[in-house]
Amino acid sequence: MQNRRTLDQFENELEAIGYITERNDRIALTAYLATELGKPLLISGPAGVGKTEIAKVLSQVLDAPLIRLQCYEGLDETKALYEWNYQRQLLKIQMGREHLQEADLFSTNYLLPRPLLQALLSEKRSVLLIDEIDKTDSEFEAFLFELLGEFQVTIPEMGTIRAKERPMVVLTSNGERELSDGLKRRCIFLYVEPPSVNKEVRILRAKVPDLPEQLALEVARAVNVLRERLSLNKIPSVSETMDWAKALLVMGKTGLDPAWVDATLTLLLKSQDDVELFYREMGAERLLFESSKMAQGERHVHGHQQR
Amino acid sequence: MYMDINSDRKVSELDRHLVEFAQLLRTVGLKISPSEISDATEGLSLIGLVDRDKVEAILQATLVKNVQHISAFQEAFRAYFATLDQKEAWQKEATQQTNQWKQQIESTYQDLRFQDNELDISEEQRAVYASLPEKDKQRLRDFLEKSSNGTRSGVPVDHSYQPMVERVLRGSLEYWRKKLNEDVPILSPGSTNGVLSEVERALRDREVEVLSRDLKKISPEEWPEVIRLIRRLSQRLASQVTRRYRAARRRGGLDMRSTLRKNLRYGGVLVDRSYRSRRKGRPRIVLLCDISGSMHKYTEFIWQFVYGLSTVVSGIKTFAFGESLIPLNGKFRKGQTFEAMVKEALLVSGKEWGGGTNLANALETLQKKYPDTFTKQTLLLIVSDAQTLEGEKAAALLSGVRRHVREVLWLNTLPERRWSETPFVNAFLPFCQMYECFTLGHLTQILNKQF
Repeated sequence: MQNRRTLDQFENELEAIGYITERNDRIALTAYLATELGKPLLISGPAGVGKTEIAKVLSQVLDAPLIRLQCYEGLDETKALYEWNYQRQLLKIQMGREHLQEADLFSTNYLLPRPLLQALLSEKRSVLLIDEIDKTDSEFEAFLFELLGEFQVTIPEMGTIRAKERPMVVLTSNGERELSDGLKRRCIFLYVEPPSVNKEVRILRAKVPDLPEQLALEVARAVNVLRERLSLNKIPSVSETMDWAKALLVMGKTGLDPAWVDATLTLLLKSQDDVELFYREMGAERLLFESSKMAQGERHVHGHQQR
Repeated sequence: MYMDINSDRKVSELDRHLVEFAQLLRTVGLKISPSEISDATEGLSLIGLVDRDKVEAILQATLVKNVQHISAFQEAFRAYFATLDQKEAWQKEATQQTNQWKQQIESTYQDLRFQDNELDISEEQRAVYASLPEKDKQRLRDFLEKSSNGTRSGVPVDHSYQPMVERVLRGSLEYWRKKLNEDVPILSPGSTNGVLSEVERALRDREVEVLSRDLKKISPEEWPEVIRLIRRLSQRLASQVTRRYRAARRRGGLDMRSTLRKNLRYGGVLVDRSYRSRRKGRPRIVLLCDISGSMHKYTEFIWQFVYGLSTVVSGIKTFAFGESLIPLNGKFRKGQTFEAMVKEALLVSGKEWGGGTNLANALETLQKKYPDTFTKQTLLLIVSDAQTLEGEKAAALLSGVRRHVREVLWLNTLPERRWSETPFVNAFLPFCQMYECFTLGHLTQILNKQF
């Protein structure tokens, strides 16, 4: 096979475009496996850990356009695959009643390709993101089998359409519904956990270059405490952490203090239940205390390693 | 451990290990298809076998497709790819344990005899006996000895009394089984395969995960986590999409029949089109909870389930039943316990908490007093351990109810393997979908299967 990337090259390319991975999150290795084996990549994990981001990054690394299909309850083939352009067909019928063949009406001219078909028809290799597949129903999932296994779809009036260039398929799931075995069998599986403090600091520093290291560290630790200690309905996502850090930066803060945590908390916790839970079980001062305890723990471990 | 995977002999060795490893994973509950093993092989030949961590990552990405299986995979990987010494040690330990177990069971054949005859008791009952403290074993042996040498009206008893003695002994062992360990079967110490028994041991140790633990054993500190999960699950239960289509302006496929009908006035030229869309069907949930003595330990679970459901679905009708039916019509309040709620209702109806169970009575009252409860949209959810009086009558009534409702779901807090011992479970089975449900894992599975 010509021009095959090695894993190291792949990792370097990720780094070059500013995507931060760690060895033990296995994101780079699993994504590499999926691209090289030509298998769909199924990414699962809590909301806001950067699942969708992986597809965007892959599209950059592979230099392939990103085609996105956002799934929702009740999504069906006409929204995902294709629909006939009825208006145009009608016009054609009206214009040429006498000399009309059926084949004239059912040709690619009258086809409105939706994301799945767009990915198959694309002349260039594309990255097809099927986002939140768990929101659709199992029938739609079964319908995807042909696409994911053979990279082809069948349109009854036209026959089978094969992919011109096999797209790199990325599916994401929040685990709201168990996906079928058939779908999972066809995919390479990646479970993404919320980032470690270390990784989040690196992400913050990369995305918000003006952010002082100390503030980045304190923010990442505090968010980590929130994620781990409280059973929130929705844990703060990486992008919410980033918003929080930016807000603090705009306010000219160099470190966290309880009053500012209280004032900006709604950037992290976005439901009344979660806010109530936070004040009932933790509160701003305790949050900062726990974060500083975590910092001591890190120093301790670090000291041991040095010795 | 660098291997040149291009040489034929070593590739086949690698394949053998992979297949063996996949089999080990299957034994601990993962579903692995041949195509996934082939993916793993391809992945390994792509990245190589130099780095243990990478090998683990490749195998995990290609063989494990469920988050809940990751811990089982990690344990299996650790045990299967352990050093030879370690494996031998596990093997030795497993063999030793199995031998010890065999000896113990063997000794029960010596101990449990009536007038020198072997008794007809099951393997599990023998196992219960073997795991009893010595003092209690002695008591059972004394009983057998006394009954062997006993007399009735001055005449020594003969072998015709054996079945009676066996019944007494079985009853006693059954009591001990429940007392020692109610749900976890007392079975042989796992596999004779060292690696497998090590994985099983590690997984038992890890079984601290809330999902797989019996709901009555979950401590108060863990309830918030559990409640969150139940809420999420009940949300899903409440918002299922029906399979039916209804006409809508622009959603889903073309509705041919209605389109043609609409366009007759244009001489059959399809000017207006109508589309079909999926209708969100909100089932009307009727919840019937068993609050008899045997279900007492699960009340917190039931309450959270009821509360979780009631926060996402309006108009849910809840009834509790023991010996009779108790309607719980009061509004659910946050922070209120199920117990308080039931007690309130009991005060009104003048009945008592936690007694016997009579499902037949409950169903009959429900049909008589609340005739509009059961409609074609109704999802009847029964939470009960199916230990009821008048079971046959209850089954007959349930079959009647089944014809009037969309679905009858029965969440049984009794483990499935105990169902055969419970009278009437078989009588109920044809008229409902019954699932064992005593861990959150079960509840999740049920909802996955059903919705």
